[in-house]
Amino acid sequence: MKNLRDKLSGLFWLIVAVFVCLESARAGTGAFHNPGPGFLPFCSAVILGTFAIILIVKSILEREEALNFVDLWKGINWIKVILVIILLLIYAILLPSLGYLIMTFALMVFLFGVLGRPKLWVQIMAAFITSLVTYLIFYAWLQVQLPKGIFGF
Amino acid sequence: MHKGENVVDFLNSLFYGFSIGLQPDNILFCFLGCLLGTLVGVLPGIGPVGAISILLPATFRMSPISAIIMLSGIYYGAMYGGSTTSILVNIPGEAASVVTCLDGYEMAKRGRAGPALGIAAFGSFIAGTLGVLGLMLFAAPLAEFGLKFGPPEYFGVVLLGLTLIAYLSQGSVIKALMMGAFGIILSCIGLDHMQASPRMTFNIMKLWDGIGLVPLAMGLFGISEILINIEKTRFTEILKTKIKNLFPTALDWMQAKGAIVRGSILGFFAGILPGGGAVVSSLLSYGLEKRLSKTPERFGKGAIEGVAGPESANNSAVSGSFVPLLTLGIPPNVVMAVLLGAFIIHGIRPGPLLLKDHPDLFWGVISSMYIGNVMLLILNLPLIPVWVQVLKVPYRILFPLILLFCLIGAYSINNSSFDVLVMIIFGIVGYLFRKFDYEGAPLILAFVLGPMVELNLRQSLIVSKGNFLIFITRPISAVAIVLSIILLITSFLPYFNKKR
Repeated sequence: MKNLRDKLSGLFWLIVAVFVCLESARAGTGAFHNPGPGFLPFCSAVILGTFAIILIVKSILEREEALNFVDLWKGINWIKVILVIILLLIYAILLPSLGYLIMTFALMVFLFGVLGRPKLWVQIMAAFITSLVTYLIFYAWLQVQLPKGIFGF
Repeated sequence: MHKGENVVDFLNSLFYGFSIGLQPDNILFCFLGCLLGTLVGVLPGIGPVGAISILLPATFRMSPISAIIMLSGIYYGAMYGGSTTSILVNIPGEAASVVTCLDGYEMAKRGRAGPALGIAAFGSFIAGTLGVLGLMLFAAPLAEFGLKFGPPEYFGVVLLGLTLIAYLSQGSVIKALMMGAFGIILSCIGLDHMQASPRMTFNIMKLWDGIGLVPLAMGLFGISEILINIEKTRFTEILKTKIKNLFPTALDWMQAKGAIVRGSILGFFAGILPGGGAVVSSLLSYGLEKRLSKTPERFGKGAIEGVAGPESANNSAVSGSFVPLLTLGIPPNVVMAVLLGAFIIHGIRPGPLLLKDHPDLFWGVISSMYIGNVMLLILNLPLIPVWVQVLKVPYRILFPLILLFCLIGAYSINNSSFDVLVMIIFGIVGYLFRKFDYEGAPLILAFVLGPMVELNLRQSLIVSKGNFLIFITRPISAVAIVLSIILLITSFLPYFNKKR
C-alpha cells in the first residue's frame, strides 16, 4: 500500500480545488489588472490544485511509507470518537429547540460515561452539577444569552 | 528631538502604562490570565491557541484593555506552565516545551526535579522581562516606520508572512502550502469586502458573514485535540520524586546563565519573524546550546542548559511576537492570529496607529507583561504541588468539561448554534487533518492574512489604475516580494536535494 494517505488526500484536495475554481468563476474573477470577488479564491484554488497534483505524483513515485493507512486506525477506540462526534452534532442541532439546560445535561450524562464506566447515579449527578454550575456562571453571572428552547430554560 | 527627550518620553509612556496595568481590575485579569495560562500549559492536550479561543467570548463584557491583558497572560503563562509537565511527566504540556522533556525529565529522574523546575521558572522570568524590554524598544520605532506603509507595502509584507507559512510547518512543505491555500479559500467565504457580493455562500444566509475565526480555531485545535486524546486510553504517570531545592545552586547558575541570555535574545528575534514563535525558538535554542557546549554529550542526559535555554527562548519569543502584531497589525504566528481576532472583536485594529490612537492599550498591555512575569515567578514555584495534583485529574472527567467550554464559547460569540456546528465540523476536519498528516497552524494564519492580502492588492491596483508595477516601484513592497520569492524557492530546495 504505497502512501495511500497522500494519494487519497491529494485527490480530495484536487476535487476541492476544481470545485472552488468553478465557484470563483461564478462569483467573477475579473481581469488581472482589476480583480473581481472570485480572483483570490480562484488563485488559491489553482495553487491548492497544483500542490495536490504534486502530492499525488510524489506519493506514486516515492518508496512505501513506514506507517501505512491501515496502521493509523489500528488499536484505537474509533467507535468512541464517532460516538462523541454524533453526540456533539445532535447537541448542536437540538440546542436551539430544547434549550441549554436539557441538552447540556443529556450530553454530559453520555460524555462522562465515554471513557470509563462510573455508576449511573454518579454520571447523572456530575452532569446535573456541571450543567447547573455552567448555567449559573455563564447565564446568570456573565449574562451570555444561552438558548432557552421551547421549555423556556 | 534630542536623545534626552526621547528617554523622558519613553519613561513617561512606561509610567503611564504602569498606571493602567496596576489598576485593580487589570491586575485581577492579568492574574487570571497568568493562572489560566499556567493551567493550560500544565495540562497536555490543550495549548494557548485553544485556550485563548475558548476564553475569548468570556472577555466580551470586559474593557478591551483588560481583555487583551488577560488573553496575553494566557499566552506567556502557558510558556511557564509547559515546563512542569515536561519535567515531571515527560509529556510536553504544550508544543513549545517539547525539547524541555529531553533534559528536564532526565534531571527529574536523577532526583534534580527541583533545580530543573527552578531554572525553568527563573529563566522564563529573566527572558520574559528582557523580552518585554525588547518589545518596548522595538515597538515604538517600528510603529513609526509602519506609518509610511500604504496598501502596496502592506501587500508585500503580508505576502511575505504568507510565504513563511512554508517554514511554519513541522512536516511537509507542500502540505503546509496546501493548508495555506485552503485557509485563504475559507477566508473568502461570505460577502466580498469591496463589492459586497456573496461568494461561495451556497445560498446559506448564515455564511454571508463568513466563517468566524474563533469557531474555526476552536474546532481545529480544541475539538480535534480532544478527539485524538479519547481515541487512545492515556495514562499520565507522574514521576515519583521529591521536589526539593527549587533554587538552583551556584554551579547550576554558572552553567545556565549563558543559555538564559542567549535563549532570551534568540527567542525574541525568532518571535518577531513571521512563522516563528515559541515552538521554533525553543528548538533553535536547544540546538544552539548543544552546538556551543564543550560537553555536548551531556545533552539528553540531564544538562541544565538544555532546560534553561529553550525555556528562556519560548518566553522571550512571546514578547517578540507582539512586535509585528502591535506595530504593523500582522500576526507572525497562529496565537497572534487568534489574538488579532480578539482585538478586532473588541473594535480595535492593531497597526501603526495603535500607539497613537490607543496608547492606554499599547502601554497598558506592555506593562501588564512585566507585572504578569513577576506574578508568574512568585506563583509558579509554590504552586507546583497544586499543578501536580491537577495532572492527576483523570481525562474522563476533564474532557467533557473542556468540550462544554468549547461549546459555550462558540455559541456565545454570536448567540448562534450555527457557530457551534461550524466548530464541530472543523473539529472533525482537524481530526482528519491529523490523521492525514496536515497541520492546522498554516491554515489559521492564512485565514487571517488572506483578507489582508486581498484588500491591499485590490486597493493598490485601484491606486495604480491596474498597474502591477506599483509593487516593484515602492521599495518596501519590492524588497518584501523579492524576499517572498527567494524564501519560497529555498523552502523547496530540500526536495530537490532529496534530503526531505
